[in-house]
Amino acid sequence: MLNTLIEPFTYPFMREALLVAVLVGTICAMLSCYLILKGWALMGDAVSHAVFPGVVLAYVLGLPLAVGAFAAGFFCAGATGWIKSNSRVKEDTIMGIVFTGMFAMGLVMYTKIDTNIHLNHILFGSLLGIERSDLIQAVVVSVVVLLVLIVKRRDLMLFCFDQNHARTIGMNTTMLHYLLLAILAATIVAALQAVGIILTVAMLITPGCVAYQLSDRFERMMLIAVASSIFSSVFGVYISYFIDGGTGACIVLTQSALFVIAMFLGPKRGVVWTYLARA
Amino acid sequence: MFEFLPQLLLEPFATQSMTRAILVSGMIGGVCGCLSCFITLKGWSLMGDALAHAIVPGVVLAGLAGIPFAAGAFVAGLLAAGTMGYVKAHTRIREDAVIGIVFTAFFAAGILLITLFPSNINLRTIIFGNILGMADADIVQMIVISAVTMLILLAKWKDLLLMLFDREHAKAAGLNVTALHFTLLTLLAATAVAALQTVGACLVVGMLVTPGATAYLLTDRFGRMLIIATLLGMICAFVGGYISYFLNGSTGGAIVVLQTLVFLVALFFAPKHGIIASRLKIQRAGDASDLRLTEQVEIKPIAAVKM
Repeated sequence: MLNTLIEPFTYPFMREALLVAVLVGTICAMLSCYLILKGWALMGDAVSHAVFPGVVLAYVLGLPLAVGAFAAGFFCAGATGWIKSNSRVKEDTIMGIVFTGMFAMGLVMYTKIDTNIHLNHILFGSLLGIERSDLIQAVVVSVVVLLVLIVKRRDLMLFCFDQNHARTIGMNTTMLHYLLLAILAATIVAALQAVGIILTVAMLITPGCVAYQLSDRFERMMLIAVASSIFSSVFGVYISYFIDGGTGACIVLTQSALFVIAMFLGPKRGVVWTYLARA
Repeated sequence: MFEFLPQLLLEPFATQSMTRAILVSGMIGGVCGCLSCFITLKGWSLMGDALAHAIVPGVVLAGLAGIPFAAGAFVAGLLAAGTMGYVKAHTRIREDAVIGIVFTAFFAAGILLITLFPSNINLRTIIFGNILGMADADIVQMIVISAVTMLILLAKWKDLLLMLFDREHAKAAGLNVTALHFTLLTLLAATAVAALQTVGACLVVGMLVTPGATAYLLTDRFGRMLIIATLLGMICAFVGGYISYFLNGSTGGAIVVLQTLVFLVALFFAPKHGIIASRLKIQRAGDASDLRLTEQVEIKPIAAVKM
């Protein structure tokens, strides 16, 4: 029995998968706290899809895939901002247009070129088959993002809570805006490996929401988000070994389950308690 | 070479399945285009994206159970919308994040189901759509969905419009806004099912916002916007399907790229709301004010009104 339970950890590929999942889970969770406060859920969705043509183009040009992904993600955010300030179309619509246009371009290019990048790996992640170079890349990107998030956490928090206040006390909000976008793009690049383009947005929203249900203090919220995300990553990888299902999907579903628990049973705001109090 | 050109151009229509695929894409493109006017005005693009992903587990389960996939997708879509409503009402989380949590959970469940129970619905179908591999029964479903959606939109567009622009006014005028809200949501779910088949889950939102946004740049009247968006959706889907034959590539990709290009053209060159037109307008306004300052003559306000 015990042997079966620790069996996954005896394989090097499982240990590597766990390492990447935990790292990516950590930075995604920290970032998710800022994104949900700022109302940038759709931005996460859009940028994560928009990196796809960048990956394909980088492959064609022989560049590191992360460079292409980062550039494409940043381009998506920039183009959205530019079109918004130059037309009367609503921002959410523009985001929808830009990211689907880019994703569609990626699909067309992908079907036209002969690649060895497996489509499913980009879209759904390939945590269990991660290559050495990808592993190093994911670790480096994660550590850099982690450092920036820790150093700049107060500035970013103020920027997300109250942009006007941040500007009034003399912060460079434009710079912070682009910094947050850059962090978002970099995080998505790292998360690509773990859960793929399509489920990255879950990693960028759900942990923050779990924590927001449980805490009123930002620092504590961040700790809870990171803890729940790390637990989901480990549990998701672990369970996917046994049921032989998609790793990314297992991680995301664990996070969703944690959210359901927090929503119903959270000590302060749990739906069950409010319901009982009313009854 | 040139005597072969007509033959080459007509080649996509030589096979029955390709002809059918192009025609069905055009039809669905038209319906999505019409609906997109309401979606862009309501600011529901995230909702469209969410529903397109949330119906995936329904499609997979319906495929496994052998019932029409549209039925499964529809139930999953409404379930997702209901869950969003519930979570939003019972937590303090912002709506966009709530939508994000719910649709990713549904979508992850769908992907897990696909990996656990391999069937004729695979990950490729979800990403690329399956316009060429549609069975006759699927096409009948698409036609029924499209016809019903168009009928409801045509019958109710004025009510829906009033609700979108001014909910309070609509309520005061005696409209049942809750019913209208759910009508729009239902239509969105039904159309997302059709669009999923055509362009795949990730690109559905493109079909559901781009034609409407393009039309919005071209006209100020809603009735005209509806007509332009429907035609644009139809033509882009038709031409995109046609081009994809020559590209030998993703139909959905070709359709959405084309729609985006048309949007970009409108963004720059639209006669009134295009970027170039507004830049010129600012310049002209600048010139006019210079004139006023130097010559000290009164310029009739007509010029300003026209601008």
